Amino acid sequence: MQFDIGGNPEYGDLTVTLDSGESIWTEAGAMSRMSSHLQLATRLPGGFVQSAIRKLVGGESLFISEYTAESPGTISISPASPGCVLERELRGDSLWLTAGAFLACTPGLSLDPRFGGLRSFFSGEGVVLMEASGEGSLFFNAFGGVVEKSVEGSLIVDTGHVVGWEPTLEYRIKGMGGLKQTLFSGEGLVMEFMGRGNVWLQTRHVAAVAGWLTPYCSG
Amino acid sequence: MEIEILGKGAFESALVHLQPGDTFVSESGAMFRASANVDIDVTTHSRSSGGLLSGLKRLLAGENFFFSTYSTEDGQPGQVGLAPTHQGEVHLIEMDGSSDWLCAGGSFLGASSEIDIDTQFQGFKGFLTGEAPVFIRASGRGQLLVAAYGRIVSNQVESELTVDTGHVVAFEETLDYSLSKAGSSWISSWLAGEGIVLNFSGSGRLLTQSHNPGEFGGELGPRLPKRSS
Repeated sequence: MQFDIGGNPEYGDLTVTLDSGESIWTEAGAMSRMSSHLQLATRLPGGFVQSAIRKLVGGESLFISEYTAESPGTISISPASPGCVLERELRGDSLWLTAGAFLACTPGLSLDPRFGGLRSFFSGEGVVLMEASGEGSLFFNAFGGVVEKSVEGSLIVDTGHVVGWEPTLEYRIKGMGGLKQTLFSGEGLVMEFMGRGNVWLQTRHVAAVAGWLTPYCSG
Repeated sequence: MEIEILGKGAFESALVHLQPGDTFVSESGAMFRASANVDIDVTTHSRSSGGLLSGLKRLLAGENFFFSTYSTEDGQPGQVGLAPTHQGEVHLIEMDGSSDWLCAGGSFLGASSEIDIDTQFQGFKGFLTGEAPVFIRASGRGQLLVAAYGRIVSNQVESELTVDTGHVVAFEETLDYSLSKAGSSWISSWLAGEGIVLNFSGSGRLLTQSHNPGEFGGELGPRLPKRSS
C-alpha cells in the first residue's frame, strides 16, 4: 500500500495505491475518484452502539467506508474542507481527534468515541471526540494550514483550532482570564493542554469563516 | 496567442497575451484586468453558432448568458487577465481538433475564438450527476481554459475510472460515462455517503477537482444564517 498526500496546504487530498487484497477505511463520502473495480463495504467501527453515539453527538457519520482492491488499483480521498491532510503512524499509541478531523486509516485501527466532558459541549467542538489507536497509518484533515506543537508544560489554544492531540496530554477547557476576557476577548473558551505530547492546530476556523461571510450572503 | 497561468494552488488566474487579430472569449465577468488597448465586446455566441437560444442554454449549464470577447483595437499586442469565481486551479487545454471537450459544473472559463462553444444537454442522467444538467461543449483547434474548486488532476483514462459527483471538471468526448453506485447495493452506497457516482469508460483525458463545493457547503451552510425568502 502506498500513500501520496498532494495539494497541501490549500487543497490537500490523499491518494492510496492498493495492491491485490488490500483495503483502506475512509470517512463516509470522502472518496473523490477511484479505479472502478474497487469494492465498497460499509462498516460500523466499534460496533453499532458506539457508532450511534458518534453519529448522534459527534457529528461524524454513522458508518465508515471500506474500499477493497481485488486487483491493484488507486483511490483518492478528499476532506470536505480545504486545508492540510496529515499522516500519523500509530504504533500501539493513540491520537484524539476532534469531530470531522478523521479522513482515513489502514484497516484494523480502533476508532472509538470519547466523551470530551460537559464543558466541551460549550466549546463549539462537539462533545464527542474520536480516539484512534492500534497499529497502522492514520490520516486526518485540518481546515487551513497546520501547526504541530510539541507541548512541554502547558499550552493554551482556541477550542475551534484544535485538530487532535496525543492522550499523554491532560487538558481542561476554561475561559480566557476572567469573565471580562472570556466574553470580550473574542476567544471565548480555550483549551489548556498540560504535560508532554504533541498538539495539532489548524490555522482557520470554519465557524469564524461563516461569521465573516454572513454579512456578504445577501438574498 | 500565449496563455500564462499565474499564481499557484488555490488562487490561480490566467493571463492571455493577445496578438493583433487574436480574439479570446470568456464567460462574462471573468476579466479582472486588461491593457488599455483591449476592446471588450459582449455577445451571446462564440464563433458561428449563437443567438438568444444558446445564451439561454448556457444558463442551464451553470454558465452566464453572455460571453465577453476580447481583441486589441490598435494593432498592438495586449493582455487580458481572467479570474475564476471560486478558489482553485486554472487549467489550460491545448485542443488539437481531434476530439471535443465537455465542461461540467460551470468549469468553462474561456477559449480562443477558433474554438466553437456550444451546449450539450445530458438528458435525464444529467440531473443526477450533481452538476448542471447541461454541459459546455468545446470543439475545434485552439486553447480552452477551465477552472475548478481545488486542485485539478488530469487523469488519462484507459479503461475505466469512477468519479464521485461534484468532482468532474471536464473530459474528452471520447469518454463515455454512466451513473452507477459506489457499492454493490444502493443501500451500502447510500450508507457510505457516496450515493451516485459517475463511471467513465473508454479512452481519453478526464480532469477532476480535488474538492467538492457541495461538501464544503455542507460544512459551512449550517453555520450561516437562514435565508429569509
